[in-house]
Amino acid sequence: MTLGIDIGHENVKAVLMEDDLVTAKVVFRAAGGVSRTAWEAWERIRALLPGVGEDPPRTFVTGVGRDAIPWCQGRPTEMSCHLAGAKYWIESVRTVIDLGAEGIKVSKGDPSARLMGFVLNDRCGAGTGIFLETVAEMLGISLEAFGEQQLMSIPPIPLTSTCAVFAESEIVGQIHRGVPREMIISGVLEAVAGRVASLVKAVGPERDVVATGGVSRNKALIHVLERHLGIPIMVPPEPQLMGALGAALLASGLEVTVNGS
Amino acid sequence: MAHELVCGVDVGSLTSEAVLLKGDEIVSYSIVRTTHDSGESAKAALEKALALGGIPEKEISFVVATGYGRVIVPFAQKNVSEISCHAKGAHFIFPSARTVLDMGGQDCKAIRCDATGRLASFVMNDKCAAGTGRAIEVIASLLGVPLEEVGAISQRFTGEVPRISNVCVLFAKSEILSLMREGAPVEGLLLALCQAVADRASVLLKRVEVEKDLVITGGIAKNSGVVRAIGEKLGIDPLIPPEPQIIGALGAALFARELLSRRARSSHLASTQ
Repeated sequence: MTLGIDIGHENVKAVLMEDDLVTAKVVFRAAGGVSRTAWEAWERIRALLPGVGEDPPRTFVTGVGRDAIPWCQGRPTEMSCHLAGAKYWIESVRTVIDLGAEGIKVSKGDPSARLMGFVLNDRCGAGTGIFLETVAEMLGISLEAFGEQQLMSIPPIPLTSTCAVFAESEIVGQIHRGVPREMIISGVLEAVAGRVASLVKAVGPERDVVATGGVSRNKALIHVLERHLGIPIMVPPEPQLMGALGAALLASGLEVTVNGS
Repeated sequence: MAHELVCGVDVGSLTSEAVLLKGDEIVSYSIVRTTHDSGESAKAALEKALALGGIPEKEISFVVATGYGRVIVPFAQKNVSEISCHAKGAHFIFPSARTVLDMGGQDCKAIRCDATGRLASFVMNDKCAAGTGRAIEVIASLLGVPLEEVGAISQRFTGEVPRISNVCVLFAKSEILSLMREGAPVEGLLLALCQAVADRASVLLKRVEVEKDLVITGGIAKNSGVVRAIGEKLGIDPLIPPEPQIIGALGAALFARELLSRRARSSHLASTQ
């Protein structure tokens, strides 16, 4: 039995694995200190499985502040974990685009999903999940509805600001001018996809390309991103769990070497 | 001829200013909110300055427009970039100025000028909200503090300054909220904000190789917290004009004065030929 915990900026994810199968998983809102949060992840997993003892199994923690968790056995990078997690679902994965709340990370792996290179943006909010959340809120729609946008016939209204904060006021202006909501959404998706695509191109994507992280549930965005890259993108089930799943897989120590442990 | 009334108008992203200049004297000036219409905003600034000075519009001999909305000011005879205008305006107030930091609502510019106030080089950030007035606006409203009071309130704080690790304003918002939940005092967070903005400005200043004297212009020059933090970071005491928001418009008015006297000289030359 192994446990993988992924501490994100928005959500904490944990996956318990036994014999290469997921036996329990949790996702909850991050709150409070990192070290308490990681322990809470274990307690929540334990609550799902009566009869499991108090001591956690072999545990790998990835994500924000993972170095502050003394009790785990490994602290692999998010990139290694997402590659390993993506490989669990899509054997042929070579490139992973992790679309998270506070960052975009593009990793390239070898055929065994060992990390070969990566490019990341974790300093700037442009194109991140928090930005999309802010826009959805401004437009008064749910994040899910945002992703269900039908794109084919809707021309985007271009978004000229790169900065998420400037883009917010640009969108306020568009709303005031009476630009239809669908056109604004199209414009935002184009802008975000363009931003992600430039990062992906910087690593030189190799197929197969897999998108992970909570934002990859946005089907419309993935569709626009495919068009920008000219490559099909696969999205595993529950893509937001890939980091935790990868951590649990790496903890089982089967084939992938671990960074930082 | 040298004492004709000239006007400079600066149409910025948040505010528009007009300066009426006669010889070396600022006869009147105004600051108004910029609306979606640059031309209208410029007009409103001009009319307010005229009204405040009790001056009829027909007395103005020449108008130069500057600022991001400068190209759509219908009554201006010429437009000049705000970078040249800030250098010229700051140098007029402080002849010792060699570096000008213009901190506006949506951008930040570090400008180097020569001993005559002429633009030598500059770097600017207009792509990212961090280090601009927008960052202060966003965080001040998050903390429920009026924008104008951010500097003064931040200076009341004496304890250990909370650390804001994010540069991005979007991320800093959630970081500041969680710092608040952990009990960080508002004064301390405002001081951290002022220091963060000063950090971004210092990066630009170092890239133009800051030289004394340093003049800070634009709306943020009124924020004592940011000004002090920049001074401490660079080991330079910045000079602040009495009304830092009108320096672009003042520079434009100075260009208007120059252009007018050049025109007068050439027409004088033509008539004597």
